[in-house]
Amino acid sequence: MIRTLAAASLRRHPARTILAILGVAVAGALLLDMVMLGTGMRESFRRFLLVQGFQLRIAPKGTLPMDTEATINGASALLRTLRTNPDIIAITPVLGAQIHVLQGTRAITSFAVGIDESTEADYQLEAGTNVAAPDHIVGNAAFLTAMHVHRGDTVDVVTGFDPQLRTYVGRRRLVVVGRGRFFYTSAEQPVAAVPLATMQAMGGPERADRVSLVLARVRDSANADSAAAWVDRTIPRVSTISTDAAMRQVDERMGYFRQLAVILAAVSLIVGFLLVTTLVTVSVNERLGEIAVMRAIGVRRVHIVQQIVLEGVTLSLVGAVAGLGLGLVTAHFLNAILSDFPGLPATFHFFLFQPSAAARSLGLLVIAGILAGVYPAWRAASLPIAGTLRREAIA
Amino acid sequence: MTASDTRAAPQGDSLSTAPVVAVRDAHRDYRMGQEVVRALRGVSLEIAPGDYVAIVGPSGCGKSTLLNLLGVVDRPTEGQVLIQGRDVGAMRDREATSFRLRNIGFVFQRFYLMAMLSARENVELPMAEAGMSAAARIARARELLDYVGLGARERHRPGQLSGGEQQRVAIARALANRPGLLLADEPTGELDAHTGAEIIGLFRRLNEDGTTVVVVTHDGELAAAARRTIHMRDGQIIPPT
Amino acid sequence: MVSHRVALIAATCTLLATAAVIASAQTTSRVPAAVAARSIAIDERFAEDEHLKVGDRVVISGDPGAAATGSGDTAVIAAITKQGTDPSEIARDEYRVRLHLTDLQRLTGAADRVDRFAIRTAGGAAADSVRASINAAAFGFHAYRSIDVAVGTSRTFQVVSRFHHAIALITIVASGIFLLCILLLRVEERRRDIAALRLIGISRRSVVWSVVLEAALISVVGSALGTGIGWLGSLLINWHYRGVYRTPLAFALVTPNIVVAAVVLAIGLGVGAGFVAAMRLVRTPPLTLFGR
Repeated sequence: MIRTLAAASLRRHPARTILAILGVAVAGALLLDMVMLGTGMRESFRRFLLVQGFQLRIAPKGTLPMDTEATINGASALLRTLRTNPDIIAITPVLGAQIHVLQGTRAITSFAVGIDESTEADYQLEAGTNVAAPDHIVGNAAFLTAMHVHRGDTVDVVTGFDPQLRTYVGRRRLVVVGRGRFFYTSAEQPVAAVPLATMQAMGGPERADRVSLVLARVRDSANADSAAAWVDRTIPRVSTISTDAAMRQVDERMGYFRQLAVILAAVSLIVGFLLVTTLVTVSVNERLGEIAVMRAIGVRRVHIVQQIVLEGVTLSLVGAVAGLGLGLVTAHFLNAILSDFPGLPATFHFFLFQPSAAARSLGLLVIAGILAGVYPAWRAASLPIAGTLRREAIA
Repeated sequence: MTASDTRAAPQGDSLSTAPVVAVRDAHRDYRMGQEVVRALRGVSLEIAPGDYVAIVGPSGCGKSTLLNLLGVVDRPTEGQVLIQGRDVGAMRDREATSFRLRNIGFVFQRFYLMAMLSARENVELPMAEAGMSAAARIARARELLDYVGLGARERHRPGQLSGGEQQRVAIARALANRPGLLLADEPTGELDAHTGAEIIGLFRRLNEDGTTVVVVTHDGELAAAARRTIHMRDGQIIPPT
Repeated sequence: MVSHRVALIAATCTLLATAAVIASAQTTSRVPAAVAARSIAIDERFAEDEHLKVGDRVVISGDPGAAATGSGDTAVIAAITKQGTDPSEIARDEYRVRLHLTDLQRLTGAADRVDRFAIRTAGGAAADSVRASINAAAFGFHAYRSIDVAVGTSRTFQVVSRFHHAIALITIVASGIFLLCILLLRVEERRRDIAALRLIGISRRSVVWSVVLEAALISVVGSALGTGIGWLGSLLINWHYRGVYRTPLAFALVTPNIVVAAVVLAIGLGVGAGFVAAMRLVRTPPLTLFGR
């Protein structure tokens, strides 16, 4: 009967109920979006860093991985030193540089990484094969499009190209053997992978033993931060950043978005709460006589409270479910806007749907709905019956 | 339906002859701002089982206050109110609520039906609160609606019923849990003479079927239908001359 | 590996990636011209974090980790510059060090090389013709208009701005519904008063007018309060983010246009909701309003 009464009360003013549900839905959608932004961005970045399972990134001292053109000299000695640490179980060096693909008089620019052939370090193969021989190259879709080449074609690649003098440091004819999805570059940026030795050789004697970055995997039982500290201590010319440290940096630098998310999430919760409180309060005020009569005929106070709270919960629950759908649509839309960030890696998402986060945020909204109903309900159930009936009779 | 269907089940042999209502020197004061309004000033009264009492008097004489005390929705400032032998003034809220649910039927001047519930659902409400199964309460609600002559209108909402019909639904609701005492506050106050007469007839029939009825009224015809009339003035009962 | 293109994520303090445009720097203090030839300018954040002041000597190098090997050149801090207000740089948390061009060329081994030239022309039309002639004649060069370069570098902020607009749209919809709901409820709460007015012979028109006027008044007062709260909020936001990003940039601005848009929206919604609710009520017979 409590359910029947709550439903009847919500049906009494359908326009009002629909408007309230709509309001809660929009507030819920914004709340969900902000939770997705606040937690999803971080999670997306974590997945992005751990896509290959390497927890450590070793870059030239004072730089962030691939953030500058600086390189580490004496790479082979560095790798030998790293291998002496039993906690480090896998190492993959990477050398990044700008390359030009010569096509007649044209020279088309691209970014390229020299990778260890044994690990598919930077990309996931979409078609063809990995780089296995010194003259192999794998490009992303943007690379293949920009160079007008297909798998099996040969490209004329140079490094250290001077467009004025048309001089270069190294030149190779490489066979396009595959198409890959590169994790760390935006989808529209042309990028290619070649064997590390080829990349180093093309850089001339200057680059023969240089790498831009070394990725290292640490045993599960070992602490990545201690391993990072060990590397920094043992090899002073490098800076090592662990996934956790990178996450801390992201937390710091992406603070704006997280704070925006927290503020807007709080605002949407407050809006949802106020909406339900207002509606339930007005609805209760309209029915004070009915409520007093129910108390007079013996309906227990707790049942009155339950009925009114149920109205608030129904509004917020239906609103939350509608908000879930609406939130996913708007998150998609907002993510599309933020995906336009220049150079944003294709694997990075600002809005990431995580069922647990969605459940938490919408649960919070429903709790707000419950709290919104409790005060007006308790106030109504505590009114003196005789006095209320007398006042209602006069009104 | 017979009288035993509408009134309460006997509470025990020892109580069967005891008064249903015993009010002893009841006072009720209200505070209105700085002033204290003395609504009841030492009222004493007894009502036997099966009685039909009309309480009459000018506006503000305290008759509705007295009815509220009998209905356990208010408690005396001083004195004692015993309903079916129990001191209702000493009851805690939860106990009083449960007592009202099972022992007292209320009929109001303005009917106070739940607008969004059908006639039958309105009658079911106190039974649902008492924990009766859905099947049992639907059957009893139909019986009661038949008793008040509205068997055919069980699905109608209050807005689709006339004033007299709404009041009959309210009476059926008041009888739902077979109360020992039926209280009515100006039950004909909002009705025309013809409909009022129908309601008076219904109260008389209820009383003949064994229900103890107490009505507060200005309506001379309703008061005349009662077995006994209590006159009140200035918060006191005027002794019969 | 983090792409250097993820502008917001990157945070680096390398001395390398700086354009040597010392002349354009706004200096807060200068040292006498007699200072040694190899002088540099650093930004005030760098000076503050490392407790550096004008006249201090530092070792600069183009080779990361040079400090560990003891290599590099000694330079004197000749000036401390104010932080720039380029929005695209705020999240990078980089220090800016400005060197004389020849010093930077020597330091990085890029003798006689530059990244770009800036050319001042006589006017807009001259800019186009100069650009066209450079692009036609100079092999290996490409000339761009400054405005095009600016558009390219401000893309990050355009994206953030679009994102803010989208969020604003959602919050406007949410607050619009909220406002509509509150005003509808407020008017409905007064149905008995309205019924009484109708019963004593007040015309529907007058009743609707009074309700609409009341709704407008509430909206105006609410908008004024909202503008005040918004203004205080913008002060708080600017204070907070200027501290976080150490920049003089304004993060939130309450402009007259924004205030007008918000007030018009609030009054429009308020009056609309009041009108709809009032019309619903005056069309209902007064006795029904009483009896509900």
